[in-house]
Amino acid sequence: MLFNSIDFAIFLPIVFFLYWFVCNRNLKVQNIFIVFASYLFYGWWDWRFLGLIIFSTLLDYSIGNFLRNEERISRRKALLWVSVIINLGFLGFFKYYNFFVDSFVNAFTFFGSTIDAGSLNIILPVGISFYTFQTLSYTIDVYKKELEPTKDIIAFSAFVCFFPQLVAGPIERAVNLLPQISTKRNFDKTQITDGLKLMLWGFFKKLVIADSLSPIVNDIFNNSSDYSSTTLIVGAVFFAFQIYGDFSGYSDIAIGISKLFGVELMSNFKFPYFSRNIGEFWRKWHISLSTWFRDYLYIPLGGSKGSQVSNIRNIFIIFIVSGFWHGANWTFVIWGLFHALLFLPSFITRTNRKFTGTINVLQSPKTFIFDILRFLQTFVLVTIGWVFFRSESINQALLYLKKMLFDFTADVYVHPSGYRMIDYFIMIICFVVFEYIIRNNERNPFYFKSKALRFCLYVLMIFAIILFYDDGVDRSFIYFQF
Amino acid sequence: MGSIIKKVIIYAVLVLLILEGLVRLFHLHNEMPNRFADTKGVEKWVPNQSEYSITGNRKQNVGQYRINDFGFNSVHDKYEPKEDAFEIALVGDSFIEGFHEDYTNSLGQQIEKNLSNTTVLEFGYAGYDLADELHLIHAYKDIFEKIDHTFIYIRFTDDLDRDAYQESSRLRLDTPFTRIAKQIKLLVYLKDIGALDPVLQLPGRIMNFISGKKEISLSEEELRKQEKLKNELSLNNFKTLLAEYPIDKEKFTFLLDSSLCTVQFLEYLNHNGYNFLDINTTFSKAKTPTTLIYDQHWSKSGRSLVAKLVLDYLDISATNY
Repeated sequence: MLFNSIDFAIFLPIVFFLYWFVCNRNLKVQNIFIVFASYLFYGWWDWRFLGLIIFSTLLDYSIGNFLRNEERISRRKALLWVSVIINLGFLGFFKYYNFFVDSFVNAFTFFGSTIDAGSLNIILPVGISFYTFQTLSYTIDVYKKELEPTKDIIAFSAFVCFFPQLVAGPIERAVNLLPQISTKRNFDKTQITDGLKLMLWGFFKKLVIADSLSPIVNDIFNNSSDYSSTTLIVGAVFFAFQIYGDFSGYSDIAIGISKLFGVELMSNFKFPYFSRNIGEFWRKWHISLSTWFRDYLYIPLGGSKGSQVSNIRNIFIIFIVSGFWHGANWTFVIWGLFHALLFLPSFITRTNRKFTGTINVLQSPKTFIFDILRFLQTFVLVTIGWVFFRSESINQALLYLKKMLFDFTADVYVHPSGYRMIDYFIMIICFVVFEYIIRNNERNPFYFKSKALRFCLYVLMIFAIILFYDDGVDRSFIYFQF
Repeated sequence: MGSIIKKVIIYAVLVLLILEGLVRLFHLHNEMPNRFADTKGVEKWVPNQSEYSITGNRKQNVGQYRINDFGFNSVHDKYEPKEDAFEIALVGDSFIEGFHEDYTNSLGQQIEKNLSNTTVLEFGYAGYDLADELHLIHAYKDIFEKIDHTFIYIRFTDDLDRDAYQESSRLRLDTPFTRIAKQIKLLVYLKDIGALDPVLQLPGRIMNFISGKKEISLSEEELRKQEKLKNELSLNNFKTLLAEYPIDKEKFTFLLDSSLCTVQFLEYLNHNGYNFLDINTTFSKAKTPTTLIYDQHWSKSGRSLVAKLVLDYLDISATNY
């Protein structure tokens, strides 16, 4: 069930009313209902894959409980590895099996021998990358004794399958979500209205920014060899906004829906295009994944505490693995590698954490101008990276970049269906300006004191949604494929 | 809980009212004229209506229409062809009706402006199929006999689904409920851009779910078989209709897109002496989009290409007149 579908528009109010009116008696009933609603939500896509979630839930719940009573290090390690191998085994099979087989065959073909290895027709279960990482984080935290394993299987099931964030995150940590799931939620009017506002903002980003840019981006990337450099720049910049609108829009809707059920999820985006270097960008983009890799991969590898060589190795590992997490394609690996290379200079010169504070509007004009230039510099670099992310193959990405950056030609882009391009440029400019105004309030975009102004903004957002609604667009979220 | 529901409802009503105001203010909505069936049983627009037809969201395409005394969109008030003048008629569905362009620059007008001493009479009505078109020509025989040349626009895929004329169900759509709904411009706009489609399809989906009916996906072989049957039926319908309403093959030319037709149909036209003008010959070479955004109808450039095609054809056929 997509958040932007009629099915969900019916599902959500029903679940909301049943949750607060019928199932509000005690915690157990609340959680049983959450599990039921979440399985229904997930099963709407393909009920066959529910078995995977249930298996993953039972596995990590059991391992957590074994770890509770186990003090021997070797046994504890063994239990952890069971969880890691089985969870990542499922992920590897469903997501990467064909990729590895194809890469293996290609490698042998390159060296002159041919091998016959058939790929399988595997359907990727929606959200497997997200819930696998979520359950793994629980087991790792329990193993590290940073979290007390839960005895409540219903609460644990609700933690794994909580429907607002089940299919595309934010990838929650047990330390944040499990205590909320294990405590009875009470009706909080402010939290619910905040949730509705965040949902509106998320829908705006998804329907107005991402969906309306999607046909233009598709046309430019699918026919990149026919277009001039200026058009390819438009394609890359539009994709930067499309993917941001799509994923951050999804995250905001997920956080907003969770609020309707009395649960606070972590922020996943903090206006990443207002970043002054790549380090800051990665502290603001897909935060739940970046911090997951930081805590469960980068730090266990030694983080930045070792020699310069091992530190740099760790940086490359985390970026490449993060890229590979996105999909079974070398383009994602190169995208990760590209970001590692961008990050490296500031890491070596210890300036990667130079910009950690919020951007102050009252700063001097000189600092303000420098900040704007830094935003632009980071945006240009990130946008070049997006070309790898969006392309079907490395070859396509390289040709795209070559034509965009080195064989410069200019003309005015005309979409085959005749879309009025000026509308999209105006829309993006308005979006960037509004995001700049709210740049310190990712959880409350309508924070303005004036009620009238807030109301005008709600109307404007809804009006923009109906102005840019495009009947023929594929409405699924980009990150669902990951 | 009660207060929040009350607040949400109040906000929703206010937002809807403001949106209705904004849609009206920017005239984002389409205005469709009213229909009727005249004394000869021909379905037309109620005469003397003038408004704007708007296609796509954000007013991607705006056209002013003007329904004349005869009930069709045209600059000409009356359709009174004279024996001593040269008149051309264009008969067809929404493509000929041309609500997507100002009536002063319609397909007919583009042709007329390029010919001296010629009047182009447009008989376009959204939803017309060949049965409607031939019924109209038959009902107004006295007019069409005086017209020097008539072009009948047909889409092989849509316009040959029946073999006899019957009054359409479109007129029954004009109920008090739809008349009220037409006054809610936000609703008209949302319906036109397809935003209400998921809601309108919902009852059908629920019924299918309750009755356990599943969407049957046909194999490619079955689909091909179905398409073949439909194509054969279309050709037979064409033959039956032309037998019922014969036309003067010298004075009538079909305007069609060969890419939508079967080879058998085109061969039938050729073997039986029916003239036809193929818009695909010019559309397939077009460098700019020939159709509108969010709409299958011809764009400005598409219409110009069709007009040029007709003009070239008339030029070639001029010796016949």
